Order: sequence, then structure tokens, then C-alpha cells
Amino acid sequence: MDVINADIAIVGAGGAGLRAAIAAAEADPKMNIVLISKVYPMRSHTCAAEGGAAGVIKSNDSLDYHFNDTVGGGDWLTDQDAVELFVNEIPKELTRMEHWGCPWSREETGNVAVRPFGGMKIMRTWFAADKTGFHMLHTLFQTTLKYNSVKRLDEHYATDLIVEDGRVQGVVCLEMCTGKLKLVKAKAVIVASGGAGKIFPFTTNGAIKTGDGMAMAYRAGVPLKDMEFVQYHPTGLPGSGILLTEGCRGEGGYLLNKDGYRYLQDYDLGTATPEPVLKSMELGPRDRLSQAFWHEQQKGRTIQSKWGDVVHLDMRHLGEKKINERLPLVRDLSRSYVGADPVTDLVPVRPVVHYMMGGIHTDINAATTIDGLYAAGECACVSINGANRLGSNSLGELLVFGSRAGQNAVEHVRTTKAAAGKSVEKQASEAEQRIKSLYTRKGKERVSVLRNELTHSMEDGCGIYRSEDTLKSTCEKIIEVRDRYKDVMLEDKSSVFNTDLFQVLELGAMIECAQTVVVSALERKESRGAHQRLDHVKRDDVKYLKHSMAFFNPNGDPRIDYLDVVITKSQPAERVYGAAAGGQHI
Amino acid sequence: MSRKPYVRQMSKTSWFLTHARYKNYILHEVTCIFIAIYAVILIVGLFRLGQGPEAWQGWLDGLRSPLGIIFQILAFIFAVIHTWSWFKVVPQAMRIQRGEDFVPGNLIVGVHYGVLAVISLFVLILAGVA
Amino acid sequence: MSTRTITMEVLRYRPEQDQEPFFQTYTVPCDPDWVVLDALNYIKDELDRTLSYRWSCHMFVCGSCGMVIDGEPKLGCKAFLKDYGDKIRVEPMANFPIERDLVVVIDDFIEKLESVKPYLIAKEPKTIEQGEYLQTPAQLKAYKQYSMCINCLLCYSACPQYGLDPSFVGPSALALAHRYNMDSRDVGRKAREDVVASHEGIWECSFVGACSQVCPKDVDPAGAIQQTKITSAIDYVTSFLPGGNR
Repeated sequence: MDVINADIAIVGAGGAGLRAAIAAAEADPKMNIVLISKVYPMRSHTCAAEGGAAGVIKSNDSLDYHFNDTVGGGDWLTDQDAVELFVNEIPKELTRMEHWGCPWSREETGNVAVRPFGGMKIMRTWFAADKTGFHMLHTLFQTTLKYNSVKRLDEHYATDLIVEDGRVQGVVCLEMCTGKLKLVKAKAVIVASGGAGKIFPFTTNGAIKTGDGMAMAYRAGVPLKDMEFVQYHPTGLPGSGILLTEGCRGEGGYLLNKDGYRYLQDYDLGTATPEPVLKSMELGPRDRLSQAFWHEQQKGRTIQSKWGDVVHLDMRHLGEKKINERLPLVRDLSRSYVGADPVTDLVPVRPVVHYMMGGIHTDINAATTIDGLYAAGECACVSINGANRLGSNSLGELLVFGSRAGQNAVEHVRTTKAAAGKSVEKQASEAEQRIKSLYTRKGKERVSVLRNELTHSMEDGCGIYRSEDTLKSTCEKIIEVRDRYKDVMLEDKSSVFNTDLFQVLELGAMIECAQTVVVSALERKESRGAHQRLDHVKRDDVKYLKHSMAFFNPNGDPRIDYLDVVITKSQPAERVYGAAAGGQHI
Repeated sequence: MSRKPYVRQMSKTSWFLTHARYKNYILHEVTCIFIAIYAVILIVGLFRLGQGPEAWQGWLDGLRSPLGIIFQILAFIFAVIHTWSWFKVVPQAMRIQRGEDFVPGNLIVGVHYGVLAVISLFVLILAGVA
Repeated sequence: MSTRTITMEVLRYRPEQDQEPFFQTYTVPCDPDWVVLDALNYIKDELDRTLSYRWSCHMFVCGSCGMVIDGEPKLGCKAFLKDYGDKIRVEPMANFPIERDLVVVIDDFIEKLESVKPYLIAKEPKTIEQGEYLQTPAQLKAYKQYSMCINCLLCYSACPQYGLDPSFVGPSALALAHRYNMDSRDVGRKAREDVVASHEGIWECSFVGACSQVCPKDVDPAGAIQQTKITSAIDYVTSFLPGGNR
């Protein structure tokens, strides 16, 4: 097997991975940084994020407001020390992005502009039209090209972490164009491989979001934290699941049921005003908006469209000029995929799986329980998002924790002696054997069949509203699929760019992640944020003001343990939206 | 190592036949051949003018010959296509920003046709035709 | 739900078995709202696990699924079946070596992208405390269009100059250089000159304009290149004047 010697290996070249690479390269230009990604960096799913990144810069805003919005938005499951750090660091990171050329939308004065976003008391979301993630990703990728010490392994699929004596030793990856395995030896590894939305059948996520890095760390013994908290974005296009940014509502869009009624006013989210009011109505938090859809559906007040039940997003009153200026991609997507022009038509939308609040357990320094192993971005759970993420906090998370991971990885490499590494080659060769065995054994289960059964079971049993029965049923299904996966067929036996092989590996990761989601959900007998139980409708701060920690068990269900949430300034209280929240009037 | 990337060679002589947009491009390029030939004819005419009335008449007769007429008709058609196809793309090369907007492409192209019309009129007046 | 039966002719190439590419036909029951990418996914999931292609976002922003559909370079996720007949021919992008089926080798482009120094070379350095560089909406508008490129490479597939001479830097890389050259915060035009204003750079372009015609994001790389030719020519002439850098 080819061996590459590096100081730091980064798995994933999206926003967090690229930011980590830059941070490490700047902290020590002499470090050897290898950036491994299963796709070219500009294909990373960061590119699909639309709305923006929140950061306090305006004089009518304060770090305390952003802190409180985030902690309340997360239904008090956020670690408040991490949130404090996050809200503090993010304006600096966003300014740094601007210095690197990020084309933030501007005010007439030339200063960076901000827009309203869900769950935020004051407008503070920096944006680049409705392609913020795209511009951030390209700015970060293009900026990494300045650093000679960052070497990329594009289209290399990371399969296994090599860990010895509780310390990370490197990563095994598959060169996709040849099928050959490579061992990247490194004293520090940063996992920034994104979320796992593809475990659901209907998601805004792209093909690549299969939780590979989460599963890799999980199998190595790192717990996956708060996996049961899966965010449904309220406005996805029906049929395709394509994202229509929260910015549509930030700019003033309304959500209407089949009677043309702004139904959110029935769900403790305030009263309907013509202009948007922050933290009220359509600018409430994502979990509450998605849950309102479910209730409307139960009452038969949603619209029956050819794609199933939908509600209508009404942006006609925004005018063509504003839509072309601030929501051009939304207009293009809407016209292309559902034949509705937001300037003149109502756009059909429905909640769609979008983001995993949970992930690889890390502390405030992006460090995991394995020495030298770090994680950042959607694949990690610090936690700053708690039980529900506010829109426009995720892009910021990539920068703050990507940067911390990079800096801390450098520090770790400097202060850590090389390990004996006696078992490294052996572990690498075992990983190779596992993949080779896929070629030689017969198998009888088709990947696409298993994948469909898995994803549909997740939607049925572990959707917006869950109950003991539905969760147990999905649990059993996953165990069945996991078992059948042992017999999965590799129908394509070639080595050059074998996408059947990649999908088989991805399915393995998806099954592990799905299992942690469902078992954690089953064990959490309360309703909090995005995790809603029909059989346990109240939030229970006595028993569950804790993070769920799912530990890998090769023979059965993950073992669930609990970790206290860090509470500093903000004691758990009622989440308040609507007029009482005192949000800014636009 | 079983990679064996396959290179599909582009035909150097017939690549433009594969798509309408390439055929249009080659037509647009080929128009300048006719314009170049016409320019040469005009230069020869200037030369003939300097050589005396007989030479000049010979040149004019050449222009009036059947072959001469056919060529001039073709050259005129190609000149029109040349003008139209080049004017069409000027806005891509010439982007004029006014505040947050750009001068509309149609306006830029329109101005070009306008200037063409004025110059043509001027030439026709000089030639005693208009 | 109604279905349309589409015959897909897809160019296959498996380097370990095939001497050269060949067309394989599949019969696909399609939802009329589908895009070509959805039909390919159906083929891969139900009919032929060995068909390989790149895709991810399915919303024309990641640039992965560039291919040639009925002779036209298009994104698989933006090619709606309702715009095609019942027989559709799908091939990998032209002018790139075929790695496998619809997957092409884009190493050459990555090198070209890196060579134009596509990052901000700032006028004067600023600390974080000093805040952002001021840039008016008008200044942003000046380069915004050129920042929209998703690197899908349909432009390279369409460009006959790149097809005839692969040393051409190409539309996307040159458009990106132009994006930075036009950014009011950047002073890197001279630094990019060696590659951009070289023989293999803008001067290889003969303004065929095919790139801009196929661009799914209206970046207009052809325009970017012609505009760069004008500035480059002016740069060249003024460099001879007193005070010019020669």
C-alpha cells in the first residue's frame, strides 16, 4: 500500500475542512497538510447553502442577543461555553472571509449588509445574494491555493481511521480512479466530512452526504452525540427536496395553507403582520415551523399537489427587483423544478430533512476522545446547535471550529512525540482486506434495495413526530438491513472509478449513522427542539438536560450514555416567539 | 494500475460540422475572406486610378462584368452577415457600467447600427448617389 | 402518476475491459418531471450498477454532473426530460480524456485553475479589527457575474480551441482570473499576467463564444476573455510610456 507521510490529515474539503487547512498552514507553514476528499473541493455540499452566516456587527445588536437566540433556539441543549465562544469569534471569521475576497452583499455605504433570519432577534445574517455557501466554499478553496503546504488528495474516499493506544495514527483512503488504497500517516487527523441527510429519502442534501466521517470516527470508538436531533428545513421543493433558503422568509415571504391563511399564527408564533418581524411567524425557528406543517397536514389544511402535501410560499409581494437581487437562485430553481415563478406564482414547499445537529462528540477545541483526532462542521457536535439549529449559524460554525481544529491540530503535532505505530500497517492491511473481500464474495442484496428500505423506514418511524412504536419498528428495520448488508452485492467488479463500490461503502456508513439516530431517539423520552415524541410531549429538564452519546457496538444496538449540558449564563426557560420575543421589526 | 484514460481526438478539418453553433462561427469567420478580397479589389482600383483613364475604365468594366456582379452581390451579403454577427457580440466585449446597472446590450448594438447608417449615408452623398 | 418510457443511449467505457467507448441502450420508465440525472440514477439503481458518473447537489450549484446530452453540453440536473424526445443520447464531456463511462479526467483544468492565482491579492493588508474593505454595491456588480462559475467545465467541452489545443488555459480559469482582476479590493492583475495574458491564455481565444452559450450560470466567460484582451492590450501599450513597468 502507498504510504504518505503527513503531519495533519484532513478528511473532507468543504467549508470546515478548507478552513482547518488554512488555519493549520498559517499556524505553521512548515507542517505537511494533506487534504483528503471524496469529491473535488468545489463539489462539497457547502456550495448548496444559500441564506447566509450570522455575525454580530451592527450597532443595534449584541453578542448577548446572538447568544440568547442560539441557546433558546437550541432548546437549551447547547453547551453555553461553546456558544459564547462561537458568537464572539464569528464576526472576526466573517471579516477574515471578506479579506479573502468573499463577495458579501453590501449596503450603499460599502459596508457588509445583513438580512433577517429565523430565530434571530436582530438582523445579523451576512449574505452573498442567495448563494452564500457557494461563495464561501469557492473563496476558501481558492484561498487554500496560496499555501504550498496544503496538498490535496482529490477524489480519495477515506475508509478507516488508524488508532493505536488511544492515539490517532492516520487514515486509510481509497484512490477512486484506481481503486488502490493509500495510508496517510499523520499525528493529527481532522474529520470534516459533513452530515448524513441521505439516510432520509427526502432531503436537501446532495448525494455525498452519507455520514462517512461520522461512521468512521464512531467505529473507532468516538461517541456520536445528539444524533436524534435532525433538522427539517420548512421550505424545500416537493419532489426533489431542493432547498429554498430561509432568506425567502427573511425578505418577507409568507407561508400559506390551502385557504391562503398564514397558519403559523395558530402555533404560538405571533400574529401576522405584513412586514417581517424577527423571531415571529415565518421568522420563527425551523423546528417549530416544520412541526406546524405536520399539524396542518393532520387537520387536512395542506394543499394536495401532484407531489403530495404542500403549503405555499408567497413571495409575490416582494417584487421582481428584490427577488432578482437577493433571491436569484431561488427564482431559477423554482421555475426549473416546479414551474412556479415566485414573482407571479405561489411556490409549493414542504419540510425537508436538511441538517444533523448531532455528530462526532467534540469539546470546545474541536477535540474528540481520541488523542489527535479532531472534528469540525456538520459532522461534529460541539454542541452549539443543541436540539435545533438556527439558520445561518452553520456556515459560521464551519469557520470557527474549522479554524480551531486546524490550530489545535498544529499544537498537538508540535507537542506530541511520534508513536511506536506497531499496529498501523496491520490495521491498514485489515482495511484493505475488508474492501478486497467485497470483490471476492458473492453477496445477494442489492445496494439500492437496502438503501431504499433504510431511508423509507427512517422517514416513516423517525420523522418530524416520533413515538415508541414507530421508533421501535424503524429500529428493527435497521437491524435487519444491517444484517442483510453483510451480504451486500458488489455488482461492479472493476477498479477504475467504481461508483458501485463507493455506494456500498457509503451505505455502510449510512446504516451506522441511522442506527444512532433511531436508538438515541428511542431512549430520549421527552420532546425537545427537533426531536418531538407524540408519547412524551413535554420537555424534561430534570432527566434530559443532557446530550445523548451513542457508542459503537459491532454486535447490536449502540450503547447510549448521557453527558451533562454546559449551562453558564442562561437557565432553561420557555422558548418565546412572536411579539413577546421583542424581535426587530423590518 | 488499470487506468487507461481514452482520448477522443477532435478532427482538425471537420470539427465545425458537428454542431450548428460551430457552423455559424465558421460562416462568421469566413465572411472576412470576402471582405478582405473586396478590400484588395478597392486597393487595386485606387492603383488603377493612378494609372490613367484607360486603366480606370478597365477596372470599372471588370466590376460590371457578370463575374464581377456576382462577386459583389456575394461580398455584400457576407458584409451584412459580418456586420450583424460582429455587432451582436460587441456587448460581451464592451460592458459599460452605470452605477449598479449595465448599459443594455441592445442599446450598444443599436448605436453601432446608427453609426453605420450615418457613415453609409455620408459615403452615399459623397458618391453622389444620395 | 404517469410515466414516459425513454430510450437512453449512454456512452460506456470500462478501461479494464474495453478497447474503446461504445453506446449502451437502456429503456427507462421516467416521471415526466425528471431530469436526465434522475434517469441515470434509475439506470444505476435498477438496471445496471456498473454505470459510473459524477453527481451531488442536484440543484446546479456543485458542477459535478457535466455531460453532453443530444450533442449539447449540459448539466444532468438541469436537462429536463420534457425538453427531449423519447430517445436521448448521453456522453461524457468532450475535450477531456474519458476515465470511465461519463467520468472524465479534469486534472488539466485543476492545474489551469491553480495557475491563474485565483485568490484576492489585496491592495493594502487590513487587520480584523479594522473591519471589512469597503465595496459599494456598484463595485460588487462589476465582478459579480464572473464569480458565479461552478467549475462545471461545460465551457471546456464546448470550446473548439481547447479541443484543438489543450494547452489553452480555457474559459472558466480565465473568467475566474477576470473576477479577481475586476474586484475593487484586488491588485493582482500584473501577478496573473504571465498566465492570463500569455499565448495560451486569452490570446488563444478566437471568440467562438460557445462557452458563454452553454454556461448554465450565465457567467459569460467569452465576455470576460474579450474584456481582458482590451485591458491587457492597454497594459501592454502603456508599459512603453514613461513610468510604465517594462
